[in-house]
Amino acid sequence: MKLIREFTKGITIDNPTFGLVLGLCPTLAVSTSVVNAVGMGLAATFVLLGSNTIISSLRRFIPERIRLPAFIVIIATFVTISEMILKAYFPALDKALGIFVPLIVVNCIILARAEAFASKNPVLPSVFDALGMGAGFTLALTSIAFIRELLGSGSIAGLITLKRFEPVTMFILAPGALLTLGLLIGLTNLLRIRKGKLALKKGGCCK
Amino acid sequence: MKEITRYGLTLAVICLLASTVLALVNGFTAPQIKLQKEKEEQAALKEVMPQAAAFKAKTQDGKVLYYKAYDHADKLAGFIVKCEGKGYSSAIESLAGLDLKLNITDVKILAQNETPGLGTRITGREFLAQFKGKSPAGLGGVDAITGSTISSRAVIDSIKKRTSELEGQLSQEIENAG
Repeated sequence: MKLIREFTKGITIDNPTFGLVLGLCPTLAVSTSVVNAVGMGLAATFVLLGSNTIISSLRRFIPERIRLPAFIVIIATFVTISEMILKAYFPALDKALGIFVPLIVVNCIILARAEAFASKNPVLPSVFDALGMGAGFTLALTSIAFIRELLGSGSIAGLITLKRFEPVTMFILAPGALLTLGLLIGLTNLLRIRKGKLALKKGGCCK
Repeated sequence: MKEITRYGLTLAVICLLASTVLALVNGFTAPQIKLQKEKEEQAALKEVMPQAAAFKAKTQDGKVLYYKAYDHADKLAGFIVKCEGKGYSSAIESLAGLDLKLNITDVKILAQNETPGLGTRITGREFLAQFKGKSPAGLGGVDAITGSTISSRAVIDSIKKRTSELEGQLSQEIENAG
């Protein structure tokens, strides 16, 4: 039961994009089309799963004071593996994601999960945490991309192109990314306040 | 001092493991990546000159200068040159096919990172079809895309520049073959 909670919290309360608001650079950059979003989400999930598993199993071996370089080496290894696999077997996706695959190394979601969860918990919960966070990230990215692609390119997941619809180019560009992300964060916060899971804080964020 | 040795050794072990894993993965993906690159290159060449049967790269100092295209009877059918120009936000790489009169058979954009929705339209057929049958000197007749003038001009100018640089060599090749 607890394991399932580790999984679902990544999608709901602690959703990396809408809840923790982490890893926004790739979120803003890659959410121009659903295909890119799903590809990026899966690549990040793979890295997260690998790094969480290894870091959790080595948590007693890695001394506290050098944990950060150790984490980064482990994360970078998985990122490089996913980059090589993408290049070898999915060249089209690799081209579309471009520089953002190597940049998964500095995606704060991955280091944050290593630091906050995997280094303090056994392997099995860490695996579920990684899967949940990965799924949450993928879902968030896909929902942003779906809206941006629909409004900005007038197509649905690259399959159906809408006729008689003049695309709003702004949604493909950076402002569209920020707008969509902001509105979606607002929407999820509203849902949470309704459910009573988030108290409305007054007086800014740094209290 | 003892601490430092312990930290150093721990990190060394982690790095050693990481590099071993990477070497293994690289071992089986490297040939596949090379294959993909070659496949992509051949497909791109075929695209700008569909009537050609085989392509041979002409290299100089280890770099590809241009490709010679041969027809089914193994006769020289034309050339393909790689052009590079600076666009609005990226270097735009393109391939241009040239027939034996040095007129353009077709153009394909290989790499670009222009503004999505605007500059990226240079990869569309609507724009590239305009190059067909024109001589590189007569590219003034190609209409730039509205809102993407810089990207469009970059493609046109890079093709013009590259073909005029190679013109002498290509004419020589035609003479030798003819």
